[in-house]
Amino acid sequence: MGDRSTRLLWPILGLPAMVWIALFFLVPLYVVLCVAFGTSDPVFRTAIPIWNPLEWQFAQVQVVWERLFGADNFYLPVVLRTIVYVVLAVCGCLLIAFPVAYFTARFAGRFRGLVLALLIAPFIISYMMRMLAWINLLQPDGLVNSIITLGGLLPLEVNWLSGKPYVVVMGLVYGYIPYMLLPLFVALDRISPSLLEAARDLGAGGVSTFRRVILPMSIPGIVAGTLLVSLPMMGDYFTSDMLSKSPKTTMIGNLINLSIVSPGQAGQAGALLILVLLVLLVPMVWYTRSNARAEVRS
Amino acid sequence: MTVSAAPAEAILDSSRSPRRRALRGTPGAKAYGLATITAVYLLWSLLPVAITVLFSFNEGRSRSTWQGFSLRWYTWDPTGSIINDESLRVALLHTFVLAVLATLITVPLGVLFALALDRWRGRIPAGANFLALITFVIPEIALAIGLLFMVTYLATPFGLGTWAQVIGLVTYQLAYPIVICRARLLTIGAHYEEAARDLGASALGAVRRVILPMLFPAILVSAILVFADVLDDFVLVRYLSSDASTETTSMRIYATARAAPSPALNAMATVILAVSILTIVVGWLLFRRWARRQGEKADMGSLASTL
Amino acid sequence: MDRRPRPPLSRRRMLQASALALPGAWALASCAREQPLGAPAPASSAAGAPASSAAAAPSPSATLQIASPQNPVKWPINPGNEPIASGLEPEANATLRLYNFPDYLDKAVIKDFTKEYSDYNVKVEYSTFNDYSEAMTKIRSGTVPYDVSFLTYTYIAKLVYGDLIRPLNHDYVPNIEDVWTEFQNPWYDLEWQYTVPYVIYTTGIGWRADLISEDIGALANPYDVFWDSAYAGKLAVLDDNREVIGMTILRDGGTDVNTADPAALELARDAMLEMLGMTQPRVTITGYTDIPEGVLSLSQCWSGDMITGQYYMPEGLDSSVLRYWSPPDGRGLINNDFMVVLKGGENPVLAHHFLNYMIGKDVSLKNFSWVGYQPPLRALTPKSMVADGYIPKNLAGAVVQPEWFKVGYPLLELQPQVQAEYDAIWQQFKAGA
Repeated sequence: MGDRSTRLLWPILGLPAMVWIALFFLVPLYVVLCVAFGTSDPVFRTAIPIWNPLEWQFAQVQVVWERLFGADNFYLPVVLRTIVYVVLAVCGCLLIAFPVAYFTARFAGRFRGLVLALLIAPFIISYMMRMLAWINLLQPDGLVNSIITLGGLLPLEVNWLSGKPYVVVMGLVYGYIPYMLLPLFVALDRISPSLLEAARDLGAGGVSTFRRVILPMSIPGIVAGTLLVSLPMMGDYFTSDMLSKSPKTTMIGNLINLSIVSPGQAGQAGALLILVLLVLLVPMVWYTRSNARAEVRS
Repeated sequence: MTVSAAPAEAILDSSRSPRRRALRGTPGAKAYGLATITAVYLLWSLLPVAITVLFSFNEGRSRSTWQGFSLRWYTWDPTGSIINDESLRVALLHTFVLAVLATLITVPLGVLFALALDRWRGRIPAGANFLALITFVIPEIALAIGLLFMVTYLATPFGLGTWAQVIGLVTYQLAYPIVICRARLLTIGAHYEEAARDLGASALGAVRRVILPMLFPAILVSAILVFADVLDDFVLVRYLSSDASTETTSMRIYATARAAPSPALNAMATVILAVSILTIVVGWLLFRRWARRQGEKADMGSLASTL
Repeated sequence: MDRRPRPPLSRRRMLQASALALPGAWALASCAREQPLGAPAPASSAAGAPASSAAAAPSPSATLQIASPQNPVKWPINPGNEPIASGLEPEANATLRLYNFPDYLDKAVIKDFTKEYSDYNVKVEYSTFNDYSEAMTKIRSGTVPYDVSFLTYTYIAKLVYGDLIRPLNHDYVPNIEDVWTEFQNPWYDLEWQYTVPYVIYTTGIGWRADLISEDIGALANPYDVFWDSAYAGKLAVLDDNREVIGMTILRDGGTDVNTADPAALELARDAMLEMLGMTQPRVTITGYTDIPEGVLSLSQCWSGDMITGQYYMPEGLDSSVLRYWSPPDGRGLINNDFMVVLKGGENPVLAHHFLNYMIGKDVSLKNFSWVGYQPPLRALTPKSMVADGYIPKNLAGAVVQPEWFKVGYPLLELQPQVQAEYDAIWQQFKAGA
């Protein structure tokens, strides 16, 4: 009797969150499907979702598909651009984060706590505030320009915010690098110093120790960091909006964000979103499962 | 902010073990190179923000030329200061309201779910856990658009605005307490609860009297994380906002940073930052009190080790 | 290759799942939100064709009655959407929700309004949209009870057809007398049944003379600057598909800025894509701060933008460097915005009072001096606005002359399927392909 109530206790405790996830995670995703496979109002061109999956129509998906791979494939450059930006930004994050994380894990000594705290600090500073910081710096009369022109002496002034791709990539690196730093640090910190000493004792030089020991052992951190950084970047639209506003730096996120508020395009936004999610599903599931497994192991 | 529990745990792991620290490499020339890179990185990472904070105290309208210290953009500017510009005031207030509401709902939901997952095995809880973790990594825009469509096309009892925003935020943040509390539950293990049961406590009683108090640091940490993260949220709150009364600071910054900004925007961002820091300090004090009562060590390391 | 046999259950699983999903879908369908569509039968007189039932596939035959200067329209008043009664008290303790572009209404005027109506303890809330289509999407979704919005005639048939706006009770709006007479009976809304005029504006080019050495206005075809690679990275176009497509058509010698001709639209699209390649313009409506601050040297903008731009000049720089050009013969884009009382609003009486308050002479002038957009006010004579000190000499071109409305090109409402073409072009442009 008591045993049964005990057994029931756990499902009851779990129920509220499960209902919540079903109602506010699964249902919304299903509504996106219904909108993407729905039709639109003939006058207002607002979306009309079709709730029954057996009646779904594919006109919107077809439009998106055409724009990706058809004759008028103007989505494709955006997709490619997004991939290039994300790859560059991820590489940037890695190149900066790796030495920093490595230093913090191995050499920071008595400053370790402080350095770690400073590394984590950007987490509590709002993304928008950090973008605002750069807008302030990169204005035509901002600090960056006054420094490189030595206060107006040199004619080196650059209009940073006028749609420069590298400014957007820099913004992405700046915005997301903390998510790279932390998993990298964890992975590097797990490498036991005695292992490195053993490598040295066996005659490995600095480079080969790095290549044969440090790099392979930091792979999980690199992979986790890459995922944590690149997944949100794929949906990012505000970085490009804040630092550029030029069609030349439009990313997939911008395309989705733009379509959502335009009449007649909500369905296309939904369809595009679904395509993006399908592509991202593999890394998302992989990351989630490997995390769950790590949890079980520990 | 998407930190899984595992990294945080590892941070602790290392700082807890003095033996390992002793074995750490001694700084050589290579280390100085790395130290320089790290210093430059930290400068690059934090200096812009520091400048933003600094210019929130600028006497003039400029966000790039220092014109003297003043609280003008906080208090006394008749139209532009946080106190006198209603839209800024409303945005700040609404940001805090959302953070409090979302935290109050997310943390209990997540803690209960973590407790359930700790004992309840099977496909259903595993699937639910999987979904909860997916909310962690899915691009925020997907969840935001899903909820926007849901509110627009279904006769939900709540419309766009505060409640839609809170619901979206809770869904997005739910993974924090789940992951953090589960990790803590794993380290606590089953012995305490079993002992309590042997002494005659019911399952519920054991949870309430034994497990929950031991879980306190994990609950605290997840509450801090959720609160600080909601303060910063942009995508969800923007899509699910209704009118000016449900705008948040991040939305104000997004809307005006490129239009007609004044240092009041910096001031608003500074206030949010101050509150984030304050939250962490308060959390730390609460933890110290708890640790004293439990007779545990009360340093940062042991707080972090609860992750 | 994994050769293990797949579990035979998977098919049954799927059936089970779909058996669960279908009732789920049905349950969702049963709580679908009623879209606030106007009563279809009578509204069809406004729409020209009967509205198909909501679930039907998009019918390409849906046509709207389009108002234009040559074809003025008196809109129907649908049953159930009659004007409010005369002599009602404004709602007390109300929050009047305004829905408008950012920086498009003087905050001080709002403050004055709440003071004026302090007996009723009213509050005013100012929410913003970035373009008209965003505004329409949100108004039609019915998710927020906005009271008053500031729109233009590119959506008026839809607004009437969908019962999204209320017909006005003229008893509450005596200040209409202060407005130019042609705006007391405008072609887009004969007998001003639904709208009162807000401001008038041309679309042209704004720039800073100290950053651009050329005198843009003196060029043979000033619009060409957007295709001149010498200005690459320095300029912007408006974040509004109609304005950019319209300008492109004018630049290439066309005059039909509302064309439905696929060939003309394709030409415009190609020209716009060429512009992207030549000058990489930014797309924004913030020229009124970007040009003064020097973020942009030059931008397509509305006439009011440069006038208000004077107040956004950085310290130490004189506003006399601002310039504005639109065709001096008036043959350019010229439009006006109007105020409407939204049907979904909770305070229709107060909304009427607000409209009346806004078009009153003194308030209108005060608002003008802040937003920079010119109201069609009898007290303001365009010929003397520079002499009277309303507008500096360097921006004389930004004054909208009444006779321009006879020769200029307004951006009219489009049939839904034509609008879809415009939207597609715009999306392609914004994708930066």
